[in-house]
Amino acid sequence: MKARENPFATSRVLKMRYQLLIASWDDLETRLATLGHRAAIVGPHGSGKTTLLEDVAGRLSLRGWNTRWLRLNEENPRLPSSDWPRVLAELGAQDCILFDGAEQLSWLAWTMFKRRSRHVGGLVVTAHRPGLLPTLHTCATHPGLLASIAGNLMGRRDAMPEEDLRDLFCKHRGNLRDALRELYDRWAQRESSAFRRSVGGNGEMVLTKYPHLQIP
Amino acid sequence: MNELKLGLRDNRTQFRPGDEITGAAGWKLDQPPDAVEVRLFWRTEGKGTSDTQVVHTARFDKPSPEDARPFAFTAPNAPYSFSGKLVSLVWALEMVIKPGNDASRIDVIIAPAAQEILLHKPA
Repeated sequence: MKARENPFATSRVLKMRYQLLIASWDDLETRLATLGHRAAIVGPHGSGKTTLLEDVAGRLSLRGWNTRWLRLNEENPRLPSSDWPRVLAELGAQDCILFDGAEQLSWLAWTMFKRRSRHVGGLVVTAHRPGLLPTLHTCATHPGLLASIAGNLMGRRDAMPEEDLRDLFCKHRGNLRDALRELYDRWAQRESSAFRRSVGGNGEMVLTKYPHLQIP
Repeated sequence: MNELKLGLRDNRTQFRPGDEITGAAGWKLDQPPDAVEVRLFWRTEGKGTSDTQVVHTARFDKPSPEDARPFAFTAPNAPYSFSGKLVSLVWALEMVIKPGNDASRIDVIIAPAAQEILLHKPA
């Protein structure tokens, strides 16, 4: 198995878009407008916050917004430039800041950032907990979502055996990113009992039914 | 609707370092472009984050909206195309229309013996 052929390669996973389960995109955009385009996408690690933020960015661009990205994480917890106040000052009403990892900022830095970006048209952030801004959407995961994503990546309408999927989901505490990384390893090594049990006599994956899921 | 065509001479996609990579880029666009670029680059794919580097670029400034241009690159000495379980390094040619995101890509192999190096034995 070559890395580039692995269905769970990072490049393929990153192409997956966020699956809205309990709301429509129209609802989400309406809510964002109601919140004055200042809102937070909240959720635990590996729940799709960044993916959803990217999808929101795409829709904002289609509606004429100029999107500006900021990305912070545990390895890079500080704003990228010492002259970020000047950068913020140059933005205007048609700009929307997309701030992935806003909670990396200290309380003081976040307060200053929020104050200095008041004039900017929009600010959408991601955070693990609510509180930075009004919540636009709370990302949540469940085993069925992992099955849907895995099915899409494998390009077939099948899924892992339910018990193995649940075990994988529980093992990673709902963190789909980590679960998909383990699926990468399993596919590469072909050691997973899940895949072995799923393989029929002719080597093809057998179907596992998830009638409550819609796998496009 | 924009049409892009990227082709290699004799449809050859496997090269040794130092080989000449020749082909042609053709396009039929709705609007005159600012430029068309053909790039030779490599990227990594696999479990980790992707890395990429453009090694050669052929740029055609303010071309006609419908045209075709030849290009020629020398296959670099490194890195080689390879695949393991965790990472693959993939070379590719890409034609990009500027401005915008229209692009066309062909994956190629650059390695000794013009064969992708496998880091593990096939199953």
